[in-house]
Amino acid sequence: MTKLNFSLNIGQTGPLVKGSDPDHLRIPIPCHTPILNEGDQVLTGTKIATANLDYSGDMHASMAGTIKDILPDSILIEVTGKTKVEAEEIPPQGGRILKEWLRNRGMNVKHFIKADTLIINAVPPEPGISVYEPLLRDYRKTLDLGLEAIKRIVEPYNMFLVAAKGNRANAFANCTVMHVAPIYPNGLIELIVKAVTGQEILHGAMPEEAVVLSVKDLFSLGRIMETGRPLTETIMTIGKQNHLVRIGTPVGFLAAKAGISVQPGDQLIMGGLMRGIAAVNLEQGVSKTTNGLQVIRNNDHLKSRDNPCLGCGECERHCPARIMPGMISRCSEFKYFNRAEDFHIHSCIECGICSYWCTAQRPLLQYIRLAKYELALLNEPNGPSLSVAEQTESRQTGEDE
Amino acid sequence: MIKPLEPILTVSSPPHAHCGRTIKRYMFETLVALTPAIIMAIYAFELNAFRVLALAGAVAISTEAICNKIMKREQSIDDLNGLLIGLLFAFLLPASAPWWLVTIGAASSIIIGKIIFGGLGGNPLCAPLVGWAICRISWGEFMDTNTTMLMSNLPSPLQQLKYFGLESVQAIKSSSLIFGEQLGGLGEVQVMGLLAGGAFLLIRRHIRWEIPFGFMTGILITGWIYQMIDPTTYAPPLLHLLAGGGIFGAFFLSTDTASSPIGAIPSILFGLIAGSMVIIIRVYSIYPDGVPFAILLANLFTPLLDRIRQKPFGGPYKLSRQKTESAT
Repeated sequence: MTKLNFSLNIGQTGPLVKGSDPDHLRIPIPCHTPILNEGDQVLTGTKIATANLDYSGDMHASMAGTIKDILPDSILIEVTGKTKVEAEEIPPQGGRILKEWLRNRGMNVKHFIKADTLIINAVPPEPGISVYEPLLRDYRKTLDLGLEAIKRIVEPYNMFLVAAKGNRANAFANCTVMHVAPIYPNGLIELIVKAVTGQEILHGAMPEEAVVLSVKDLFSLGRIMETGRPLTETIMTIGKQNHLVRIGTPVGFLAAKAGISVQPGDQLIMGGLMRGIAAVNLEQGVSKTTNGLQVIRNNDHLKSRDNPCLGCGECERHCPARIMPGMISRCSEFKYFNRAEDFHIHSCIECGICSYWCTAQRPLLQYIRLAKYELALLNEPNGPSLSVAEQTESRQTGEDE
Repeated sequence: MIKPLEPILTVSSPPHAHCGRTIKRYMFETLVALTPAIIMAIYAFELNAFRVLALAGAVAISTEAICNKIMKREQSIDDLNGLLIGLLFAFLLPASAPWWLVTIGAASSIIIGKIIFGGLGGNPLCAPLVGWAICRISWGEFMDTNTTMLMSNLPSPLQQLKYFGLESVQAIKSSSLIFGEQLGGLGEVQVMGLLAGGAFLLIRRHIRWEIPFGFMTGILITGWIYQMIDPTTYAPPLLHLLAGGGIFGAFFLSTDTASSPIGAIPSILFGLIAGSMVIIIRVYSIYPDGVPFAILLANLFTPLLDRIRQKPFGGPYKLSRQKTESAT
């Protein structure tokens, strides 16, 4: 069983490594509509799918090649080269125009609103994910460009950089540095907002008069401003190193490059151990929000059971949202979804700590997510709709952040 | 037919890490915590204690197995909870208990205490106490050490206090009570062993300090209040804590997972309610020892106490309320 140390201190990391190029890409299109056809030629940065949600970023080819297949959840591109699209003129205006321009270039602009406070989150999102460290150290110029862009949209009066105590973080100009205890889940947006403003927001909701951006968001933004081309890369912690990876690179390719041999029954986790997504197969491509890759061997992974809840209360004692995951899981287990609301299911910030501590090894977070999903569908005034389903899904898979 | 991509990976919902605790291990470690008291009980009451413990354990396990069979449920005896309930029940019996009493009590602990509420985790009351209450009310004379263990030289402080008044227990020293030199339930009086087991459970973090602390404080404070009222009739608080099932109740019965509250303040209140109820029952009722009844009563407060809690993060918030508001 994989035990975890919840410390968010990461120590020294090496420089950002540029990943090698795969011979094909599988660009994930969650909640997107493809706009090209099979056989079409694309360049690095050609738009291939538009987002269905009005704040989500469009998808672009991350390398030049030919579209081989369009599947419901991904687009397969055979790579033939690296030719990039023409760099574009960056709109001189700020506000809505820049925001829409960035959305078209692949940024998720959900949090890009006018607000008093701008918060830069430099606390590692999960134990073992150190993607912010090399960016803060070696990519100052890109970050500054990103910061300048976001300032044109948010127009903040004050700015905060939140870092974990013990991790190095140099402030930006006019930016107050705040430290939080280096323990998971302190890097999650909800707790960052609480640390800075004192407000408590629900998972997926927007804080009042505050905008939170991670260092990675800032970097992506900076890259777009720097190159004038769409977002085609993500940063992932693989092993101890951080890699700059093209979106859509199959996880099997990354694992092979990192020297991990994947055996049948193993798990490949895209992201951290607490909130990451298990890859379906070696062909699954990484998405914009993927921030890590880890392998869990066949016998080491958590085997969830349908054991009854003991009522031992370990979940409740460790819950940062002060709710009763055990009771909610019972409601969800027996499809009493409305009853789950009486136990304040919407306060859950989906950190996964309850399932980590569950003596009965119940999949508590999965039960909670199921109930949230069902509730969202049940409570839609015009009946269940695709958009509600997609929104909930994007919140739960972390595509939103 | 789509050919699956090799190698086939395991998929699951996050989190992908776990602390390694299991139900079986939890029950096993609670059994380990009972071991010192079991050894002391067998030393003190010899084969009789062993007879009661073994019978209660065996009956509890087989009752659970039969129930699972009848209800066509997955067999659950290997999680050791049945054995634990049986042994906890046996701890409350005098070593002289006849075989039929042990059998009925252990079986009803499992059936009426646990299975009827849906099995593990569903019980609103501490399961072994349900069996105990049935036996105590139905066959009181067999549960009473006064009538069944006349041959023993050991004192039975609570009975003496009840029937002969304070002077009769004046000679009993606290130290002898700690070493189990008293009559009562065969395991519940082994104070030393129970304290060791309780410390083990606390260190392993299977129980938290709040409930035992509240329980013992409840006994001591209420006992002290009564002693203040009239020192010539009411026993000193320390005697109340060490005699009968005080320590056993504090560490093993009131901390039962499903029937006790969870938060810090509810747990302390729960302990205080149970603890003070112990003294009130001992003083006013016809039963010499009030621990099991006190805990059963406190169990009834658990759902109420669990409502004492902090505001949920960012809430309270309900989607359904939002919907009705926007409709009107």
